[in-house]
Amino acid sequence: MRSLRLPSFALAIPAWAWLVTFFVVPVGAVLYFSFGYKPGIFGTHATDVLSFDRYAEALSPTFFEVFMNTLWVGIAGTLLCLAIGLPVAYWMAVKAPANRRGLLIALVMVPYWTNFLVRTIGWQIILAPEGWMSQLLQTVGITDGPLEILYTRTAVLIGVVYNYLPLMILPLFVAFDRVGPALREASKDLGANRVGTFLRVTFPLARPGIIVGLLLVYIPLMGDYITATVLGGAQGNMVGQLVASQFQAAQNWALGSAMAVLLILVIMVSAAAIGLLLWLVSLPFRARTRVALEASA
Amino acid sequence: MTTATEARTVSPTDERDAASGSVELQQVTKRYGDAVAVDGLSLTIQPGEFISLLGPSGCGKTTTLRMIAGFEQPDEGDIRISGRSVLGAPPYRRDVNTVFQAYALFPHMTVAENVAYGLQQRRTPKAEVRQRVSEALDLVQMRRFADRKPTQLSGGQQQRVALARALVNRPSVLLLDEPLGALDRQLREEMQLELKLLQSRLGITFVFVTHDQGEALSMSDRIAIMRDGRIEQLADADTIYARPTSAYVAAFVGQQNFFRGTAAEGGSTVESVHGLVRGIRSDRLAPIADGTSVQAAVRPEFVRIEADAAAGAPATGANRVQGTLLGVSHLGETMQYLVRLGDDQSLIARRPTPEAPDLAVGSAVSCSWSDASVQVFPSDDAAAAGGYVAPPTH
Repeated sequence: MRSLRLPSFALAIPAWAWLVTFFVVPVGAVLYFSFGYKPGIFGTHATDVLSFDRYAEALSPTFFEVFMNTLWVGIAGTLLCLAIGLPVAYWMAVKAPANRRGLLIALVMVPYWTNFLVRTIGWQIILAPEGWMSQLLQTVGITDGPLEILYTRTAVLIGVVYNYLPLMILPLFVAFDRVGPALREASKDLGANRVGTFLRVTFPLARPGIIVGLLLVYIPLMGDYITATVLGGAQGNMVGQLVASQFQAAQNWALGSAMAVLLILVIMVSAAAIGLLLWLVSLPFRARTRVALEASA
Repeated sequence: MTTATEARTVSPTDERDAASGSVELQQVTKRYGDAVAVDGLSLTIQPGEFISLLGPSGCGKTTTLRMIAGFEQPDEGDIRISGRSVLGAPPYRRDVNTVFQAYALFPHMTVAENVAYGLQQRRTPKAEVRQRVSEALDLVQMRRFADRKPTQLSGGQQQRVALARALVNRPSVLLLDEPLGALDRQLREEMQLELKLLQSRLGITFVFVTHDQGEALSMSDRIAIMRDGRIEQLADADTIYARPTSAYVAAFVGQQNFFRGTAAEGGSTVESVHGLVRGIRSDRLAPIADGTSVQAAVRPEFVRIEADAAAGAPATGANRVQGTLLGVSHLGETMQYLVRLGDDQSLIARRPTPEAPDLAVGSAVSCSWSDASVQVFPSDDAAAAGGYVAPPTH
């Protein structure tokens, strides 16, 4: 009897079905709506006439400023997450006692056990002008007046770094952990000090994990909506909020779609540009350490 | 990059004195919590010497090597390399290099870049780096693999690269941590020969850690047999093999038949349940009081074996036992006989294949040996229990 055997790609069918239904179709719809227009006060979108007009609208000076603001928060937030997350991930993977690592990872994850919105609202209390942080800073004498950062871009930055830091730490931890102690010992045995060992062995080998961490933080951060809404106010606007307000408040799906598509493009192009830049920066370093022997005799 | 002079000390040729390449361990102790890994160990290694630290896992040999390399700091004692104390000095400030057990080649660098790593750390000019890397790769016959990544190499090839990566720095002392352990037997034997030749040619001090007695015997000028963080015996291969100072050493190097019993005749004879085993007790060893618990050791290659009928008269006197032949194994150059003497005692005899007697399994046999082949030691729990040390499984 012929045995019924599914081809191996059948394993991927559930994932494909899910992604096609809930990702490809909606994104396709958003792309399609973005070329349409808002037909009247009560309509949300119409696509009988297609044009790039909504894109022109989305790039008007007001909206453009929000895009730039988003890019600033995205890049600054991601770099801050890297600056804060890299040392702690290195310490957890390399220096901390091996039997404590599980506990340390759990501690990194603890904030995730609390609702995202609740955590973010918590920062309102901390950052408020009459909040305890403000009073502490005044008591100690670091600031003269009340803390004036709630509902600013700074508050959004603090919030996103807090919210996305675990997404940076975990892949960095895994990356550093996988390098293992043997190669660091070999490096020191060959005369490299701690800094040299990090730059030439640990860092290059952890680079894939670092790239994963950067993308895991940068992409959701660029589309963040809750943090900016709760902590940003009018000054801390991000594109995510604009998109949401076009869909919900203004009921202009066409413009909201155009903004969403632009946001996707900005994320892709900026990530590619940053990657290219980092690669170009690394070229002289690679050239210096490359060893090319003449063809063997 | 900083312009500061590289911290690693490289002694110029004119400063290389007689002590260059010597290693001295003075009363070195290393503890991990309550466990003592190395226990007051003292050892002086001459410049240019090939010394092996031999012992089972957990005897402290690797910890000793790691303290010389600088990966561990001793809790007590002093370590001197080329006459200077290296206490507190990190690995990158020591004039030693290590060939690691798992090679620890950098997977993101080519073979040439791996070998160049140490030279680049010392800001060696590029032309000189190329020159010396080429020479080092030629030395281990890996020049044509220079542009490969380590993952594209076989175990033996990786081992050669690891060797080149260490030797290219021209260290005073080369430390080798079971570098041949991952290789198959034939390759391992080839590399043993090559390593020994290389060492005599370069004149670098080699400190070789291994649990393989064959490796240690074939390559070393001297062997330090280690046990529980101490050196049990330190001598050349001949002495270790022929005149072990304890049952532990006797059991660890080569194979032994042990007879337990009580000492008689001034410690030279053992009264065992299988008869008298008589040896010649060396004056070098501590005296053994008659009546104390002792064991006699006889190596299988010294045991003669013949059919019992041929012996004629029943066994009388010392150094002659009778038993049943349990099995015969062909080991290539030798034939090995396993003889059962009693419930808890077996005996191994080994004869060169051309002159090995043809004996039927299950037949009665008679075994004998000369007084000169017997060594008597105080009883030692660490020596193998039962009558003999089981042959290694090949």
